[in-house]
Amino acid sequence: MTRGRDGGRRLEGSAGTLERWAAILGGTALGFAGARRGSWTLAALGGGLFLAGAAGVPLSSPLRQVALPAMRREPTTTQANVTIAVPANKLFRHWRNVRHLAALFPHLDAVEILSDTESRWKAHGPGGVPVVWNSRLDKVRENELITWHTLEGADLPHRGTVLFRPAPGGRGTEVSLTLAYHPPGGAGGDAVSRLFGAAPEQQAREALRRLKRIMEVGELPTIEGQPSGRAERGRVTAKLREVTG
Amino acid sequence: MRALCWNGVNDLRVERVPDPTILAPQDAIIKVGLSSVCGSDLHLIGGYVPTMRAGDIIGHEFLGEVVEKGPEVTRLNRGDRVITVSIIGCGKCWHCEHEEFSLCDNSNPQPAFEEMAYGHCTAGIFGYSHAFGGYAGSHAEYIRVPFADTNCFRVPEGVTDEQAVFVSDAVPTGYMAADMGNIKPGDVVAVWGCGGVGQMAMKSAFLMGAERVIGIDRFPDRLRAAQMKAGAETLDYSRVDIYDALLAMTGGRGPDVCIDAVGMEADSGAPSTKGLAIEDLYDRGKQALRLESDRPAVLRQMIQCCRKGGTLSIVGVYGGLIDKFPMGAAMNKALTFRMGQQHGQRYVKRLFEHIEKGELDPAYLLTHKWALDDAPQGYRMFKEKADDCMRVVFAP
Repeated sequence: MTRGRDGGRRLEGSAGTLERWAAILGGTALGFAGARRGSWTLAALGGGLFLAGAAGVPLSSPLRQVALPAMRREPTTTQANVTIAVPANKLFRHWRNVRHLAALFPHLDAVEILSDTESRWKAHGPGGVPVVWNSRLDKVRENELITWHTLEGADLPHRGTVLFRPAPGGRGTEVSLTLAYHPPGGAGGDAVSRLFGAAPEQQAREALRRLKRIMEVGELPTIEGQPSGRAERGRVTAKLREVTG
Repeated sequence: MRALCWNGVNDLRVERVPDPTILAPQDAIIKVGLSSVCGSDLHLIGGYVPTMRAGDIIGHEFLGEVVEKGPEVTRLNRGDRVITVSIIGCGKCWHCEHEEFSLCDNSNPQPAFEEMAYGHCTAGIFGYSHAFGGYAGSHAEYIRVPFADTNCFRVPEGVTDEQAVFVSDAVPTGYMAADMGNIKPGDVVAVWGCGGVGQMAMKSAFLMGAERVIGIDRFPDRLRAAQMKAGAETLDYSRVDIYDALLAMTGGRGPDVCIDAVGMEADSGAPSTKGLAIEDLYDRGKQALRLESDRPAVLRQMIQCCRKGGTLSIVGVYGGLIDKFPMGAAMNKALTFRMGQQHGQRYVKRLFEHIEKGELDPAYLLTHKWALDDAPQGYRMFKEKADDCMRVVFAP
């Protein structure tokens, strides 16, 4: 469930609709996962991730308070995977150009190159709160792999890996993005959620999806700015307010 | 412009909304000439598809004229008379390259709903809830079409508006249903549901070499159309036991191919059908309580009736979960299941050729042509299947 800032395209569904959707289908998905693996731990983890993903939804807050503490203690590692119908060298080059990354991570405002291996990153959280870190490249293998970690004093300490492997049968390239967050005090995923209003798992997945769409079709699909009965009602209400003061 | 907005369960209104504009370089704006209702809209209107939002413009089967295009649209020109396939492909991903357009990776701007519910996201669809992208629909004076080069098709001169509009959805959906049945000479094809899609499936089954086609419904006008227009034999499920009848018609073998053109709101039959009234009550009760989201009566019946080793082809729409699925029968009878939303872009050219040659004439689906302002009444008539309504088409 994409909550939060998917390029500003929030799903402003009423809580009723979303909660129903979540109740019917989310519950079932988890049930399946649980049954398939026979693992309570996994089911609980899935539940936690699901709720974190849904954190932007007006789900009743008691539910959140019960479910989230489970993910608070350890550093959060998250991985997303996508297959992109584009050769690895093109994807590698695209990723290496830091100017392209803001389109993948909408919270990112600027990246400053400090040296061959070090760079300074500026992002923003809800309400424009600045989030700043310095990052150092660990490994760069042409067309295969990039790994990095943040340096002392980062607002968002983390390690990251992006991996490019050829997909079988001419399907393009399999891209994996792994992010491990280690905030001081150990509030891994929760800190990320707090900073960016979305669970880390979802952020990684959305970033790779944007990469795929930009590289495959050259644009991100959008419905932002299209007509609906809502916009008009909003305007009418605004007009009424103007008239009635 | 004026547009038909969904405002809640069974609450449709024609409202003034802003005109659509080009939002991305591969967009086009179409001035809508004809826009048809579709049986799948009834699932939205009835509230069986979550993620509808008040104010959403519905409608997904339409014909019109290109009036504006983005800088990256190269295959269309202003003034072109086009149909647009209801299900949106990006044209570039692996699935689109393999002509599986309804599985497009890239056209759904809101993929998270489906990823959570289905494990993966599929293509965006016009006017079909936010799970399928939230794209504004075609019951309006204008509509914006993303990836227009992939999704819009010029209508050949010899094809009328009334024929072409259904090449958006009903014709390719029915055609794909027959295609998935992998029909061989001598095959008997049974089609559940004689609405627009079912009619086209029956006609397509003959085009693909079916020996006999049997249409199943309970509305006399639709059964009549199946006989007169699609050339099918018919069964009224409110009067006969479908299993007994189909077996009697096929020497006890059962149909080789069974097509579901009904989907999630099937009813299980009338009191005369053995035991099915209880089944229907059971499914309606569970659906009302959200314990199952879809009523699978047609699926159960198809599995029971289908010849051993036969094929079930499912194009009626399902959204969520079903209950009491006879997996044992399906497995032990070695049935093949094929299904999916239509990959219309794959078929449009072939369908226009069939129409031009006179082998297929979908225009008879259009039983009512009304003004857009009358759309709410139009849907009511369509839903209640009043006045022998097969399809009402709005001309804005």
